[in-house]
Amino acid sequence: MSLPRSATSLALTSPWTITLAAFWVFPVAYSLYMGFTDYRLLAHGHAWVGWDNYRELFADPAFLSALRNTFIFVLGTIPLTTVLALGMALLVDRPFQGRAFFRSAFFLPSITSMVVIALIFMNLYQRGGYVGLLAELVGLPVPANGFLYDNGTALFAIMAMDVWMSVGYYMLIFLAGLQAVPHELYEAAEINGASAWRRFRSITLPLLRPVALFVIVINSIKSFQVFVEIFVMTRGKFDTMTCVYFVYENGLTTAFRVGYASAAAYVLLVIIALFSVAQFALMRRRGPAW
Amino acid sequence: MRITTALIALGLGVTSARAQTTIEWWQFWTDPSIKPTIEAMVQDFERENPDIRVKLTDLTWANGHEKIAIAVASGTAPDVLELGSDWIAQFAAEGQLADISDDIALDSAGFNGWSLATYRGRVYARPWILGTRVLFINQDLLKRAGLDENTVPVTWGELMAAAQAISKLGRGVYGWGSNIAEKHRLYKKFLPFVWSNGGQILSDDGEFCVISSTRAVGALKFYKSLQDCCSFVDDQRGLEDAFLDNKIGFIISGDWLLKRIQQEKRSIRFATSILPGNNPNLGEERTPGVRSIAEVYPGKSFLGGEFLAVTTSSTHRAEALKLIAYITRPENQVRFCKANYSANPSSRNAQQDAFFQENPHLQTFGRQMRLSSHPPVDPDWVFMEDEIEKAVEDVVFNDAAPGEALRRAQIRITELRTKAK
Repeated sequence: MSLPRSATSLALTSPWTITLAAFWVFPVAYSLYMGFTDYRLLAHGHAWVGWDNYRELFADPAFLSALRNTFIFVLGTIPLTTVLALGMALLVDRPFQGRAFFRSAFFLPSITSMVVIALIFMNLYQRGGYVGLLAELVGLPVPANGFLYDNGTALFAIMAMDVWMSVGYYMLIFLAGLQAVPHELYEAAEINGASAWRRFRSITLPLLRPVALFVIVINSIKSFQVFVEIFVMTRGKFDTMTCVYFVYENGLTTAFRVGYASAAAYVLLVIIALFSVAQFALMRRRGPAW
Repeated sequence: MRITTALIALGLGVTSARAQTTIEWWQFWTDPSIKPTIEAMVQDFERENPDIRVKLTDLTWANGHEKIAIAVASGTAPDVLELGSDWIAQFAAEGQLADISDDIALDSAGFNGWSLATYRGRVYARPWILGTRVLFINQDLLKRAGLDENTVPVTWGELMAAAQAISKLGRGVYGWGSNIAEKHRLYKKFLPFVWSNGGQILSDDGEFCVISSTRAVGALKFYKSLQDCCSFVDDQRGLEDAFLDNKIGFIISGDWLLKRIQQEKRSIRFATSILPGNNPNLGEERTPGVRSIAEVYPGKSFLGGEFLAVTTSSTHRAEALKLIAYITRPENQVRFCKANYSANPSSRNAQQDAFFQENPHLQTFGRQMRLSSHPPVDPDWVFMEDEIEKAVEDVVFNDAAPGEALRRAQIRITELRTKAK
């Protein structure tokens, strides 16, 4: 007895599709619906409120500042992470003694638990911590209560940590991309007398474009969703409230306004989608996009 | 054959259900120093009530509130809940807690803390272990600063002077410990100053928000000046660490710090006292010859605590109430407090125990509790709290003007309350 081919494949993929439907598609669709209701965890029942949640969001100073902080976070970390990751990939691409050590050392932070890293950086950033002492040595101003307990520096301190911890991962992706570049191209260019800079601009960069797109899109999505760092280090205080932390705080703490939090989550989803589409469009454009 | 088996199984089920009821209790005491006491009390309760079994589930302070809310929403709430006092109104207003007003009438006289569990005239939980905060004084630092080591600052002015003197020691030593912007914690530190200055959050009839009164603004000004002149700023745990390391002269803390000092066998020389006051009617002048601090300078503190409630979804209300009555018995409260070094049992009888009477620090907590206030028992308190904390943050970390920051908070709270009505 044999089942039709399609039935077999359906059956074989069912564990995954069922899980996806139950724990991903359904919650995502349901939270879209909840965004239009006044659903609160503690209340019995809920009512349809139309666009009220969305209207309230865009009049809520806390949400607007969360949006602003999220954009600062994304726009501040992505270029830096991308450029640093590419530079490091170029460095560890060429043969030198101890290359394997540097490759793994750069990659190490990205396999370490975020919570552990956050706790270590809290120590470094605190009053009298190493970062403060270093800054004092070179004559930079140091906030009196440490970098994380100051409205002017907290977000940037977290961003710096994020760059430090994610750059190794993207370096690895760039490295894979670099190794896929055919060697003959470089040889041909060299024979034709192209300088190292020219070879980098005309061969390496264009051929790395798909890899760079991947890095930027993935990193943007991840950065828009920044949460753990904020949760561990500042709990959204000291001007570090971001969108996902806002969703968590409103939906799962204090007043448990799940409807309101769902609406905020959907605003973030739309922003991420638009941002990704824009990135694809920009990077696909022909001609020198760099 | 199958039917017979099913019938037998059903029959057994019915008899065992009659013989024994299992109730679920969710509680927060997971520390190895106190969990065994909770378990022992539950065992004793089961021995006294052979027909009731108790299933204990541990919650943590980090996510307990979330877990309870999710359980309530999904219809899987336990029979008995331990609740922090600031959550009672929220759960009661949504109809998630059983009204136990008629069940506790008989013994209400023997307990403190009912006002925290009373929402719109009905009682929704029973006070268990209360908690307040007092002033911890580092005597070594007082001495090093050239002050009498038995100095107890009674007024804000005295506190400021002593804190300044200690800060002058320099080398990482500070007079006062001030909290960072910690949600649900900052207001507990700030409100005592408001109350000690004669200020209030709501008017006496509960109708209007008055958090921008001259007295509240004065309290915020003083709070800010204390932070600016001589403060070590950190989260509560960081402040306590620094205090125990002889880096801070004065901090406000709770009985958990006494427990920590004992558990970790710290050699710190410290005193406790009720919070300094600033009776606005008397100004900063001390009246000569008046000995009772409480009468002249009421340094008010924050009152909160642990409460036990029955959920409306519980189908074993009588058994749940029995468990609550047992756990909150005076002798069991003493047992709990001894194990946990808790200073404020809700039972007045328990408070008479030698354990509390013979320890000067625990006595400070007892005195301070009688001089404590609590925020309004209101489901919208979480929002009011947020506005008040924002105002304090704005002033102490952003240099906003105290009057304006509190006025903004008052306007937002008034709007919220109007909307809620």
